[in-house]
Amino acid sequence: MTGHFDKHILKNGMVLLGEPMESVESAAFDFALPAGSSRLPDGFCGAANIIADWIFRGAGDKNNRQLGDALDGLGLHRSSSVGSAHLSLSGVLENTNLYEAICLFADIILKPALDNEHFELAKELAISDLLALDDDPQQKVMLKLRELFYPYPLGRSTAGNLDELKNLTAEKTRHLIRENFNLSETIFSVAGKYNLEKLTSQLEKLFSTGTAKKTQPIEIRPQEHKYTHIHNDGAQVHIGLMTPTVTASDENYYNARVAVSVLSGGMSARLFTEVREKRGLCYAIAARYHGLRESAGIVCYAGTTPDKAQQTIDCILEEFERLKEQISEEEIQRAKAGLKSSLILQSESSSSRAIGIGSDYYLLGRVRSLDEIKQNIEACTVDSVLGFLRKKPFRNFTIVTIGPKEIIVQK
Amino acid sequence: MEFKKYTLDNGLTIIGEINPAAKSSAVGFFVKTGSRDETKEISGVSHFLEHMIFKGTEKLSTIQVNEAFDKTGAQFNAFTSEEITVFYAAILPEYLLDITSLWIELMNPALRDDDFDIEKNVIKEEIAMYKDQPDFVVTETCRNLYFGKHPCGNSVLGSVKSIENLSAGQMRAYFSERYAPNNRMLAVAGNFEWDKICQLAVQSCSAWQKKETSRDTSDYPGAKKKKFLKKSRLARQHICLMTKAVPAQDNSRFAAHLLCSIIGDSTGSRFFWEIVDKALAEIATMHFGAMDGTGIFQTYIQCSPENSSKVMDVVNNIFTDVSEKGITEDELVKAKNKTLSALVIKNELPMGRLIDLGLNWTYLNQYRTISDDIDSIKAVTKDEILNLVKRLSLQDFTIVYLGPG
Repeated sequence: MTGHFDKHILKNGMVLLGEPMESVESAAFDFALPAGSSRLPDGFCGAANIIADWIFRGAGDKNNRQLGDALDGLGLHRSSSVGSAHLSLSGVLENTNLYEAICLFADIILKPALDNEHFELAKELAISDLLALDDDPQQKVMLKLRELFYPYPLGRSTAGNLDELKNLTAEKTRHLIRENFNLSETIFSVAGKYNLEKLTSQLEKLFSTGTAKKTQPIEIRPQEHKYTHIHNDGAQVHIGLMTPTVTASDENYYNARVAVSVLSGGMSARLFTEVREKRGLCYAIAARYHGLRESAGIVCYAGTTPDKAQQTIDCILEEFERLKEQISEEEIQRAKAGLKSSLILQSESSSSRAIGIGSDYYLLGRVRSLDEIKQNIEACTVDSVLGFLRKKPFRNFTIVTIGPKEIIVQK
Repeated sequence: MEFKKYTLDNGLTIIGEINPAAKSSAVGFFVKTGSRDETKEISGVSHFLEHMIFKGTEKLSTIQVNEAFDKTGAQFNAFTSEEITVFYAAILPEYLLDITSLWIELMNPALRDDDFDIEKNVIKEEIAMYKDQPDFVVTETCRNLYFGKHPCGNSVLGSVKSIENLSAGQMRAYFSERYAPNNRMLAVAGNFEWDKICQLAVQSCSAWQKKETSRDTSDYPGAKKKKFLKKSRLARQHICLMTKAVPAQDNSRFAAHLLCSIIGDSTGSRFFWEIVDKALAEIATMHFGAMDGTGIFQTYIQCSPENSSKVMDVVNNIFTDVSEKGITEDELVKAKNKTLSALVIKNELPMGRLIDLGLNWTYLNQYRTISDDIDSIKAVTKDEILNLVKRLSLQDFTIVYLGPG
């Protein structure tokens, strides 16, 4: 990490962000397209998953198989992920193959084949993935939690809704792609070894034909916080809880990050110490910051056997409540050390940086330097964190459990 | 990059690969012990012991250990497999000596009774957590069925019963035998000063007592059995297949790895095009599990219960086709490109490098540079892969189905 960032806005409004890294041979990139689960209209929950699969089934002059072979031939490791705001298409590979990969991705985004036969297969896989969530209660509880916590439609399930998925047709989905693959709201980010000039002129040329328009902001509807239990006969009760906090652009953002780190930054943090080390209630217990541009929360997960579930949730809530009463200087120092070190360790990975700079830009409208983040973490003190927590305590939890036993949530 | 090695009189080996350009360092202890080194009476002890290492020493309480790690911002953890237990940390270079010193201290755990009793609950919770993960359950059941009485079939976690019955005394006896200095190794990668690490190890580890250790490393052809497990709450069918592969020490291991990429990588493989792309299953992958003296090919499939037999027909056809005709040159080139780029990207991080460095030393007693591995992958030919499949017989698998019935 050199502390230098590249930024270029293409003629169509698409943003190119880059972070050159001297010590790597890889290049990682990400196209963040404004087609995340919250950006799609009502009745289309889960469509982004079908789209993420369908667009790779042939594009430009290549059929499904030829396209897959071409991507593999470059040694590209790719992934597609659906978030609240974006459908992210990302990849990492040896840097000399970057430009060829970008050509293929331009076809995938602008000229996907989108034939009917492949639509049915992509739809079937999206439905299968959704059904398979029943066999993965840990993931299911987190998806349900975000759905209930965030103002609608920000937390809408990224896995989809079964009825809505079944109702989708190729025609409707093609329309969604046309509407949502809006280049003026697309962020392209790259990190590692790359040539800016070459990349800029390549992107200008390749993406000169796509859709670029102004879109309406999505309407957000607050939801009531509540407790939901989903019964299953598994071995554990999977507990997910979330409490509102400040977004990344808030002046108290770093205080919130340090506060959650005191709660759950490392093995000496409070949740691990109280729930696992002292009481042996759980194997998995962790809390972390989870933020969107419009709304953010502290999300916590714990998995425990049914007879310990009540004690576990009581203990977790007690720790959240207790946090604002007192924090020691040592706790703050450890929390800050953990945040700073993870920042530097992540800065060695081209994939982490490509995603990181894109996300910064979306959340804040700019990329933060390593030094800026470090200074902001450094500036947090016992007083600033406690002051923040007393003003905005971690309360009003949304709670979801999946398992053989319900818990009692105090009002 | 520069490689360094030093062995103490008690057999403890210290290895390091210095990369002055790295921003971080990684350090770890690699202990050559796991569930395959356990008897039935102490099933799960290796993994439980891995947890207990963090519970402190004569000098340090559990809380003090956690605080000592966290004040440096270290990203640290440990894992236990059938045959190895690894303790590792990724760290900023200025804290490397502190963290190395802490690991060395922790390598002589107090194993206190009260800590043991509390941690027992955590282990039982971990067992319960994995019970809710059908991919884990089907894989563990298949491994157990495949290996039969061979120790590689032993469960890493143990059972609730074996954990309940385990005593701290049994753990202490296991520790003193399996954690002998000649059976563990200290490895460092990234940005660090070799002399200082070496000096620290000489000062702090020379008093550790050498002990005779051994392990049954016999090869095993697999049981070729079939089992159906019914769990009505499950939505999908989870299928695991295992067949014999080559050991970690075998020169064909690179060919075995490429074969798995060609048959069962998550994109662009035969499984992908014939099964996932056609929406017969949402997951179909194959991995090479290289072990000490033996090895397995492991396939995992997740699909609808109705598609189960159709998917298995396709799997059988692919195995037969590869066994009879081998693979194409085009498939080999793509698999090499994917494998090489994954290798390079992983090794860009000192933490990724540490694991490869340590495992190569543990299994081969050999230092291999990234270039050595790149050359070995590049050198694999179509014929070598064909010879391998002819030798191993992919169709003779052990299989477990886990689903709603």
